[in-house]
Amino acid sequence: MNQRTIVVHRDVQADQKADAAAERERLGRRGTLVVNLLSSPGAGKTSLLEATARHFAGRRSMAVLVGDLETDRDARRLAPLVPVAQLTTGGACHLELPLVQRGLKALGDPVVDFLFIENVGNLVCPASHDLAEHLRVVLISTTEGDDKPGKYPKMFRTSQAMVITKLDLLPHVPFSVEAVTADAHLIQPQLKVLTNCALNGSGIASWCEFLEQQHQQQLAQYHEPAGNR
Amino acid sequence: MHERSLIQSLLRQVEQIVATEGGGQVAEIRVQVGDLSGVEPLLFQMAFDDMVPAVFSSECQLALEMIPVTAVCSECEHQFEIVDFQFRCPACQTGSVQVIQGDKVKLISVTINSNNSIEGIAS
Repeated sequence: MNQRTIVVHRDVQADQKADAAAERERLGRRGTLVVNLLSSPGAGKTSLLEATARHFAGRRSMAVLVGDLETDRDARRLAPLVPVAQLTTGGACHLELPLVQRGLKALGDPVVDFLFIENVGNLVCPASHDLAEHLRVVLISTTEGDDKPGKYPKMFRTSQAMVITKLDLLPHVPFSVEAVTADAHLIQPQLKVLTNCALNGSGIASWCEFLEQQHQQQLAQYHEPAGNR
Repeated sequence: MHERSLIQSLLRQVEQIVATEGGGQVAEIRVQVGDLSGVEPLLFQMAFDDMVPAVFSSECQLALEMIPVTAVCSECEHQFEIVDFQFRCPACQTGSVQVIQGDKVKLISVTINSNNSIEGIAS
């Protein structure tokens, strides 16, 4: 009997990451900024998307892929406002790229300014899966603990922005915007922090302005003349 | 519990390697799990034990090694280990640091037993 050890040293997710990079480039080249929204269940991802859709109505086009373990309840909320496809994971705790691609196909692969992926409510597993997003945004609501970032370091480390939601409840809950920001900045010092309330609309304009800036900055790389690349 | 999905990717990679190497029995799969990979080692081992018999022999062992997070400072190029998930350069205090190790699950090596006469690489 022969025993051989083959040395590999390869990222277990290398293939998935390459697929995600290719999809990111394909969508980026045609002017679509892909935004992956992540949070605990109930932080307000769907409400933020409803407010975003109302703000962008008639000015910017968007589509939503919404991930849940079961039901199409979130998709039905968004359907009157924007093209939306529900991705049900059948119990799995996170979305993966093939599911996102299937959702895009179901929508007819639309050319939009923004493609939002509303991930499954979970701060752990979705952090490890690249869904071809250009921008990863983590939401935290004022009804959660302001010490959360330190408990879920990978999620906050891999995000570019943190949106603090349900700001209208701030006077009634023991939540400190300063404390959560400081905790998140230990993990990701470059994290952009935004606050808003989807119900009364405060902060929605600056959230959408941030999205517009990201659209311009992140997609600029695809518009450069070939000689400058 | 996304460990199952990672084990699936791992086993697929190992299958490809075994095919390229001309077959054989997989005796050991050596893996490095970074502290920032989002993987819980116990759940990873449990998922492996549960899923490996469908692909390889249940004798196939998983050798798992945890790897601390290492970063390099973009300003002063100081290389350091991240402690308590605080991503700030201890030398110049900047927050602009790049993780260079410890954020992935990596397949390190595969040990294959075979009956053919190809001379083995020492393990």
